[in-house]
Amino acid sequence: MKKITLECFLNEEPVSLEIDENARLLDVIRDVAGLTGTKEGCGVGECGACTVIVDGETVDSCIVLAASMQGKHITTVEGLSKNGELDPIQQAVLDHHALQCGFCTPGFLMSAKALLDKKPDPTRDEIKMAIAGNLCRCTGYQQLVEAFEDAAKEYQKR
Amino acid sequence: MQRLSYLKPQTLEEALGYLNEYGEKVKPYAGGTDLMVQLREHTSKLKDVEYLMDVQYLPELRGIEVKDDCISIGCMTSHTEVNESPVLREHVPFLSIASSTVGSTQVRNKGTVGGNICNASPAADTLSPFVALNARLTVVSVDGTREVLVKEAMEKAGKLKFAPNEMATRITIDRLDGWHTAFIKLGRRKALAISRMNCAVALKLEDGVIADARIAPGCVFATPDRVEKAEELVKGQKPSAELFEKAGLAVSEEMIARTGIRWSTEYKKPVIEALIQRALCRAAGLPED
Repeated sequence: MKKITLECFLNEEPVSLEIDENARLLDVIRDVAGLTGTKEGCGVGECGACTVIVDGETVDSCIVLAASMQGKHITTVEGLSKNGELDPIQQAVLDHHALQCGFCTPGFLMSAKALLDKKPDPTRDEIKMAIAGNLCRCTGYQQLVEAFEDAAKEYQKR
Repeated sequence: MQRLSYLKPQTLEEALGYLNEYGEKVKPYAGGTDLMVQLREHTSKLKDVEYLMDVQYLPELRGIEVKDDCISIGCMTSHTEVNESPVLREHVPFLSIASSTVGSTQVRNKGTVGGNICNASPAADTLSPFVALNARLTVVSVDGTREVLVKEAMEKAGKLKFAPNEMATRITIDRLDGWHTAFIKLGRRKALAISRMNCAVALKLEDGVIADARIAPGCVFATPDRVEKAEELVKGQKPSAELFEKAGLAVSEEMIARTGIRWSTEYKKPVIEALIQRALCRAAGLPED
């Protein structure tokens, strides 16, 4: 397999990664960059567990060709906390007990982050729309929506 | 996933050169939301593909241009961009609505309108508004440029009538200024599901009478099309639920005439009739039930 060099920004750090030219972004994040917070669920872009943010917009990293990410800014769940402080979205999910097994959580956090960065005062329906591409099979969505509503209040103060 | 080489043309000329050299061995990569899944599932139609050609750097495939009598949309325009475009929302609102029903936010951010058409699935969510808008694909190769009607672009499900060295760059649609449009999609659930059936309609109303009409049911024919019989039936008439019920019947008759009675007909017939009637009522501003 031919290797190519992917130069991009991963959680705001410039990185240069040797990758298989047909690798998925998900595999590059997990296996090459070693950031295993991003999860693989369905592998076909339906469950949202592998959601990351590319240039401000969420994508399912399991159906993105990593080679196409040259020069782009990629944010994974590892990029949410700053200087040891949790992002308000992470804190709100903890406060609302909005997870059980936690496998879907990184994806939900990234969908919420992309929404609140664009729109810090979303309606409840806008929150639901933003996470419609993320599936949770244990806790349900009620606590997640309430957590993101709380996190939005923190984002509005920024 | 099968072994594939990555091509990254910086100009259209370079891309067309690759297509001319490698033919069916090269597959354009737009948003990847269908392609990456098909590659993972080893779909037989991709078994000969050896190269993925990333078309994100080609300016000819970008941007939305409003012209005097039409609108030109670059094939790389994402569903999110279509949904959020103020000019498309103003001129062709049912296309924006259809784009907003594709997959999830993540899929809409990557998936493109060109890909939605060129993937050639009869269940694609945006096909029916594009067909109602008389959409034409600009298809280019080293041999030149031609226009192909979207409704005539598919040979069969999953297969385009393109030569191996051709690719689509833009989609041109009619401007329906002042028309009233509606799009209704029926999926297996509200979020994330592809269309089970859908319909896109547009009505031109003059002095309370339907002066012109476009009626395009989705996912009911092998390749997408309008139903002229239903359009003729409503033209010159005043909008009413009864009239639109007849239009729905005309569509279901056309569906059966073209595809025959199938195991699913018992379900699809009353449902497409109801979808057409509701969409026409919605477009005309009448109550839907």
